[in-house]
Amino acid sequence: MNIRNLLHRVLVAAGACAVVAPALAQAPFVDVGKQPPITIVTPSAPWYPAFEKTVDLYEKQTGNKVKLDVTPFVGILEKMRNAVRSGQSPYDLLMINSPNTVEFYEGGFLTPLKEIDASFDVPKEVFSYGDSGWWNAQKRWRTANGGQLMAFTPLGNVQLLHYRGDVFRQAGLAPPKTWQDVLAACTKLSDPPKMYGFVARGERGNGIRYDWHSVLMAEGGDVARNAEAGDFTVIINSPQAKNALDLFIELMKKCAPPNYGSLGQGDVIQLLATGKAAMADVVVAATASFDDPAKSAVVGKVDTVPLPAGRGGARGAAIGNWNTAVPKNLPDAQKKAALAFSRWFLSYGAQRAFAEAGGIPNRSDVYTSDLAKLPAYRWFPAYLETQKFAAQDLGYAEGSQIDQILGLRLNQALIGEMSSGKALNAAAREIEELFRKNGRKTGSLPPLPE
Amino acid sequence: MELVNRTFRHWSLVPAVLLFAVLTLYPTVNLVRMSVSTIEFTQGGEAWSFTPLRNLALLRADEVVPPAVRNTLLFVVAAVTIEMALGLGLALLVAGVTRGKGLIRTVMILPILVPPVAIGSMWKLLYNYDFGVFNQALVALGLPPANWLGSTSLAMWSVVAVDVWHWVPFVFLILFAAVEALPVDVLEAARVDGATRPQLLRRVILPLLRPAIVVALLFRTILAFKVFDEVYLLTSGGPGTSTELITLHLYKVFFEQNQLGYGALLSLALIAAILAVLLVGGQGVRVARA
Repeated sequence: MNIRNLLHRVLVAAGACAVVAPALAQAPFVDVGKQPPITIVTPSAPWYPAFEKTVDLYEKQTGNKVKLDVTPFVGILEKMRNAVRSGQSPYDLLMINSPNTVEFYEGGFLTPLKEIDASFDVPKEVFSYGDSGWWNAQKRWRTANGGQLMAFTPLGNVQLLHYRGDVFRQAGLAPPKTWQDVLAACTKLSDPPKMYGFVARGERGNGIRYDWHSVLMAEGGDVARNAEAGDFTVIINSPQAKNALDLFIELMKKCAPPNYGSLGQGDVIQLLATGKAAMADVVVAATASFDDPAKSAVVGKVDTVPLPAGRGGARGAAIGNWNTAVPKNLPDAQKKAALAFSRWFLSYGAQRAFAEAGGIPNRSDVYTSDLAKLPAYRWFPAYLETQKFAAQDLGYAEGSQIDQILGLRLNQALIGEMSSGKALNAAAREIEELFRKNGRKTGSLPPLPE
Repeated sequence: MELVNRTFRHWSLVPAVLLFAVLTLYPTVNLVRMSVSTIEFTQGGEAWSFTPLRNLALLRADEVVPPAVRNTLLFVVAAVTIEMALGLGLALLVAGVTRGKGLIRTVMILPILVPPVAIGSMWKLLYNYDFGVFNQALVALGLPPANWLGSTSLAMWSVVAVDVWHWVPFVFLILFAAVEALPVDVLEAARVDGATRPQLLRRVILPLLRPAIVVALLFRTILAFKVFDEVYLLTSGGPGTSTELITLHLYKVFFEQNQLGYGALLSLALIAAILAVLLVGGQGVRVARA
């Protein structure tokens, strides 16, 4: 081989590399090979159609079969409990709502993902979502620090402040940056019954608790002083929490429809989609529906910003993600097949396909891709920004009971059955009792004036 | 031969007794066992501990139970009373119709055929503050819209109205069949003796309908105590505790809070309450008969 030939070969090889390298660098999908069929139990949430399309793509690409058991939100927890408590789980992958993960982790019902395949890892581009997929059994806390990888997030729901861009521009208002901005703007824009300035969930239960929790975080409040460090002193009746509750009540009373005490997620979405609300605190999973002409009268008019900051400048957003996990009571082959699907689903290509189908991707590189330039994905920057401060809430075994306690007391304060101080004192008393009963190191603050 | 027959008769009962034990006794015994235990899940399995006082203490400290009991009693009394009155009235009215009885009866039973989940969703839309038919009608009449499900004073009555819509046909069907079966000669004799319409109703028809009324009342009372799906979908017990019923609270304790032992105790309390109402009701009927 002479020099000329060698140079020619090197040039051809370099050219080929230049063509192939970008494709290889992106490596959009993971090849998982032939796998036995799996069954996934999944909630019939607003993002389900996007998930179904992405699963279809998996089946087409790999030839592997996936059966989806679509279950209403209210029934899915019980289905999964029954599955993991039985002899062999009928589901190979579970979709667990974040607050319920602790029950499954503590109960020992799941297989740590690295036990199935030690080489498995969640790609670094995937958001951590407050480490909800990790479990540190010693600390009884969800953290990657000393924890085991138990699950990954297929869908990272967070609340965004949705607002009518056209209405704001017409009124000469800037998108709200603080909750005080929201109050000022909603007061200006409220013109009931034609237009309500601001809507959020006020119904008793998880609705009001979850929507209010982000305001609580922004005001610098919390339920327990430092649960991660084992300090379960109840601080839900702090002045910060009272500020957050008073602000939430003022917003709802001044700007929401008169039935604010019973507004659920469907109502909030409906009010925004029909053009009757100027602002709404809504989960990002519903965002795409506002641009769907079949479901919305305000196509192209709803914009998003991260949830606003509190008086001290802090921002808060409670993460409401789902967690995909593999039950313990499964044969090894099924566990491996479940993990293979997980590996594929977490790849860039799958997450991009999920986004294009209307889902909420979990990888940062999808949010910085060319998709972000398209109008349909104008919520990407708000979501990306929210990941900087969004946090898990109620990440302990008592979470679901505290959700119930607060869900009632907050609603009672909102509808005027009791003052905000009295409601928070009552909640603090009940939560402290709950922690004490469970052997936690707990205590309480002096009661608020009632 | 007789001994063989008697032995055979006794043994032939065994399958039925076994079935009864498996389907009824075992779940009940298990429920009692759960009600005096704390059940936790750890290392992929259940861990039971015998803690009867703990569950009782939870019951005593549960601030949602008193309003739930009050609301349940209010719901049962209000809903069943209205349903019995309307069902009886409709049965008597339709019995007096000469043509189209079959059609009326078919139309009347439609609400019973609708699944409770559909009823809850349908009525939630009807009650919607901004888009519901009721408020649109009120506004069209120049009246202010009502906060059907969001007002503490109105929510319970809105829920009762849905239950009445759902179950009046059931009462109607039972009583209509009884009215149709009334002995014509007795009614004729009363008329010939000069009984007025109110006298005929009070002295002849109602006493003759009493067995059917008791059956309808009994069934409706039991079902009203157990109502869940409609209320869960309409209000989930809110606003505040204004529509919290004992069944809703039981669901939350058992399924949302995962407190199986305490949930079992609440279930037993509910069963005991229904039995007590039935016993007292039965005693009342016997006294009335005497």
